[in-house]
Amino acid sequence: MKRQHDSLIVRTMSRMLIPLAQLFACYVLFFGQYGPGGGFVAGVIWTTSLILTFLVFGLKSPQGRLVERMLHGDGAGLIIFVGVGGLCLIGGGEFLNYQHLEIPGLEAAERRYVGIVLTQIGVAADVAVTGISIVVSLAFHDTQREYHV
Amino acid sequence: MMRHLPAIIFLLPLALAICMPLLGMRKQAWCRPLAIIAMAVMALVAFVNLVGVVQTGGIHYEFGGWAAPVGIEWVNDGLASVMIMALSVMALVCVIFISSVLFPNLGTRVVHFYTLVLLLVAGLVGIVFAGDLFNLFVFLEVSALCGYALVGLAGGKALVAGFRYLILGTFGASLYLLGVGYFYAETGTLNMADLALRIPDLVSSKAVAVGILFMFIGLGIKMALVPLHGWLPDAYTYAPDRVTPMLASLVTKAALLGWVRILFWVLGAKAVIFQIPVLFLVGFLGAVAALIGAFLALSQEDIKRMFAYGGLSHIGLILVGISMGNHTGFSGGLFYLLTDAVMQGGLFFWAGALIHLYGIRTIHDLSRLREAPGWLSGVLVVLAMSMIGIPPTGGFFGKWYIVLGAIEARNYLAIVAVLIATLLTLAYFVKLFERIFRDRVAGQVETVRDIPLAVRICLGTASASAVILGLLSDQVIGFLLRTAIPPGL
Repeated sequence: MKRQHDSLIVRTMSRMLIPLAQLFACYVLFFGQYGPGGGFVAGVIWTTSLILTFLVFGLKSPQGRLVERMLHGDGAGLIIFVGVGGLCLIGGGEFLNYQHLEIPGLEAAERRYVGIVLTQIGVAADVAVTGISIVVSLAFHDTQREYHV
Repeated sequence: MMRHLPAIIFLLPLALAICMPLLGMRKQAWCRPLAIIAMAVMALVAFVNLVGVVQTGGIHYEFGGWAAPVGIEWVNDGLASVMIMALSVMALVCVIFISSVLFPNLGTRVVHFYTLVLLLVAGLVGIVFAGDLFNLFVFLEVSALCGYALVGLAGGKALVAGFRYLILGTFGASLYLLGVGYFYAETGTLNMADLALRIPDLVSSKAVAVGILFMFIGLGIKMALVPLHGWLPDAYTYAPDRVTPMLASLVTKAALLGWVRILFWVLGAKAVIFQIPVLFLVGFLGAVAALIGAFLALSQEDIKRMFAYGGLSHIGLILVGISMGNHTGFSGGLFYLLTDAVMQGGLFFWAGALIHLYGIRTIHDLSRLREAPGWLSGVLVVLAMSMIGIPPTGGFFGKWYIVLGAIEARNYLAIVAVLIATLLTLAYFVKLFERIFRDRVAGQVETVRDIPLAVRICLGTASASAVILGLLSDQVIGFLLRTAIPPGL
């Protein structure tokens, strides 16, 4: 897992499949308001594409490094979620009441649309990062250490 | 603004927990003051919330503006507001204790540590406010996951204890979720107020009865009710000394509060499963837990382990109180829950301070305490008075109202159980005091470390609030009787 996969077939197939999976994740994310899907599912699909990335190209490759860097965005998704909810709270409504999302020049329905999309993006980002961090910590965990607390 | 206070109380620890990795990675020194300030603000907001609930009565907070059966609501009534007040004050004191200079420096891990602690508090706030069975599950898991990580933080034996806690806790959560599933299949709703309307027509349903049992066993594991308490003593003994007070005073009580919510606000006090009244079952198990917990505490040598078993016995006493089926017993049980949070916190502050100041872990080492300042033993005396139940302290009035409730319900076995548990508690504290005050074995004089200010504040607050709760017991019980009595009790 630390280095590139040997088989050319696997590498070529992954090069095709990974963008496809990510595109599908985006579709599920933005289609989530009208049909089955949404942030969680999109996040999971996105995670599978990222896990495939470093299974095939290794954690040391440029692609793998990109995935590793994403781990630093640990709470970013949650910040988006809480931020949108908090803006609604500041706008005078309940937490996550998108009608009170004070964005100038938007109708009530459009505010709800924007609010839901933003929250779903937050959820998707968080699920994706959590998924990768589970896999990375299972695969590349430190040796057992004694801590003093 | 007043009606948004529940969300604000929840968002304070949550938002800071998320921002902590971003802020803390640059300046690790910021973590400690930020956490303390957040907890202080939370306590302040909780107080404003309590005053608001006293003046205007409780409200239901609807997330996203969707009305209850469809949307998710939080219940901010008398019970929740009192418990949030106690929780936020205890969380503030525990965070002050956690950040004391008494303990080894955490290095870069301090960021993750405070993130976990703040998420734990956020999860507990969610448990108290939840007005929806599934929401309750989610917040139980949020707080429990942080709890597993905090227990395992010390490495070594703590990892094993933490893993055991994880397995049993997850098993309990799964059982609870299974119970919620049965309820949903029967009624088609998860909202507590909505369920309360539909459950009475379904009392004969076996699915509902099994659902109640699953939920009770699941939450029983979480609250460490005695036959299901296997994870607790090890977890509390080997957990880092700085986090044990927070776990002991808040986590099991929150699960207990969740069960109170379900038992009285969803099922109703008169619920019966398979011809057995649920209240009788709860009271019986509570009495057994009170006796066995105190009995096991008596046979312990390790101080932290002894206090952990003492906590098990008190969970039982609280259950005995709430299961009496009358107002006196119920408010007494809740009052005892508040007092117990203070007492458990205080006892583990004391044990943690002793381990790190003097290296005292077991009862045998206690004779060395004579070199310590006298007030350190004084704190233990006050807390022990409350644990045993000697008049000016909160513990006495809690037990008093529980016994009054039992007399009112003509449940004399419960009285006997409470009295025997009290005697056993007295016995294991006498064991401690004998070592401290009577032992003449000259211990080697240690180089006495100065006790840090943070630890003094924590020990002082805990022992003072045990007494203040006792002195103000009339007002607190009166308030609980006015605002926190469930409908139909």
